Amino acid sequence: MRTLYVQGDSLLHRLSPRLKLLLLAGASVALFVVSSLPLLGIMAVCSAGLYAMLGLSLRDSWQRLRPILLTIVIVALFTLLVDTPVQAATVLLRLTSLMLLAAAITATTGIGAFIDEITWLALPLERLGLMKASDIGLSVGLVIRFVPEVLLRYISIRDAHYARGLKPRPLTLAVPMIILTLRSADEIAAAIDARGLRGQK
Amino acid sequence: MDIRFEEAEARFEKRLILHPLTLSLSERRIGVIGLNGSGKTTFVRMINGLVTPSSGRVSVNGFDTIKDADRVRAETGFIFQNPQNQIILPILKEDIALGLKSRKLSRELTDAAVEAVLSRFGIAHLADRRAHELSGGELQLAALASVLVSKPGILIMDEPTNQLDLRNRNLVQFTIDGLEESVIVISHDLDLVADFDRLLLFHQGRLAADGNASDVISRYREIAA
Repeated sequence: MRTLYVQGDSLLHRLSPRLKLLLLAGASVALFVVSSLPLLGIMAVCSAGLYAMLGLSLRDSWQRLRPILLTIVIVALFTLLVDTPVQAATVLLRLTSLMLLAAAITATTGIGAFIDEITWLALPLERLGLMKASDIGLSVGLVIRFVPEVLLRYISIRDAHYARGLKPRPLTLAVPMIILTLRSADEIAAAIDARGLRGQK
Repeated sequence: MDIRFEEAEARFEKRLILHPLTLSLSERRIGVIGLNGSGKTTFVRMINGLVTPSSGRVSVNGFDTIKDADRVRAETGFIFQNPQNQIILPILKEDIALGLKSRKLSRELTDAAVEAVLSRFGIAHLADRRAHELSGGELQLAALASVLVSKPGILIMDEPTNQLDLRNRNLVQFTIDGLEESVIVISHDLDLVADFDRLLLFHQGRLAADGNASDVISRYREIAA
């Protein structure tokens, strides 16, 4: 079991989770309102500086950010194909800044704190009788908690291919990953039920 | 502890997994043994309502596992075969605190309860550790703490010594022996359950033997031969 959380005592660690999430929401809006490339460049550098406060090595950072960074590059290249280079650079800088900010907040906020904040944010929905706020908090917490787990599962299935002298292919990777993930989800759902964690008020 | 099965059976789709069963359990330490696929796990999952009877009734301390599912789960803690999936949050103390959320305790009281249960199992030093960093024995103790923090009177454990080395296996046995709660343990480790008050043997979805440990283990050896 792995976690995206990085233990530490940085300024980001000490800030309240609620404030961090509100700042992230504000920064997201700002990033999409701004369209000046130099300004977006400055914001990207600031986001990188904030991420650097975590003190992670370049290798660790690359491992954590690689999947989403590759996705951003693909989106930027696609934009380059269908739009102007300026627009592609804008997309690249916006999404990279957003990724760095979100990653910094995820790395400095425990999942328990995330669950508490999301539960608090969802309380109006509970008052309207639409759903239980704690279930929403738990769902979001579980997503954050199991992202690294799914990546680990991918690595173990890929290594199993290598061990058997097989070349990993999308289909032969995807099928066992889906089956194992669903099986694990079943067991975790049973554990959540057994511990009476669902439907808490 | 008062657990009752009244003609309770379990089906998965149309397949009969557990034949109609009538029995009551009140002993403090009960072992459940049998070959793989004999219906042991289905049986214990019926006790805390994870599997509901397709006919008949199961009750725990007077509470029906279907109608009073929440109450039954509050009365029965469950430790799964793979404690990795039992620990929902990565940091141990956060995970244990999660089990107390429904009580709406203050932060101080929650922290005190978490510390108390960790100390009870001698793992207070692991409070800030990530679950993936724990050894097999530590992980079992962590799973125990995460379940017992909400103070269920009955604890069900599904193969608690599975895949543990001898030292960790002995640690888990020592811990089970010292538990104040009533325990129901599924195990292939016959030494673990050899001095339990009562053993149940399942075979091909039926209760094949029920009684004192030595008799039931002898019967199991005959079946397994």
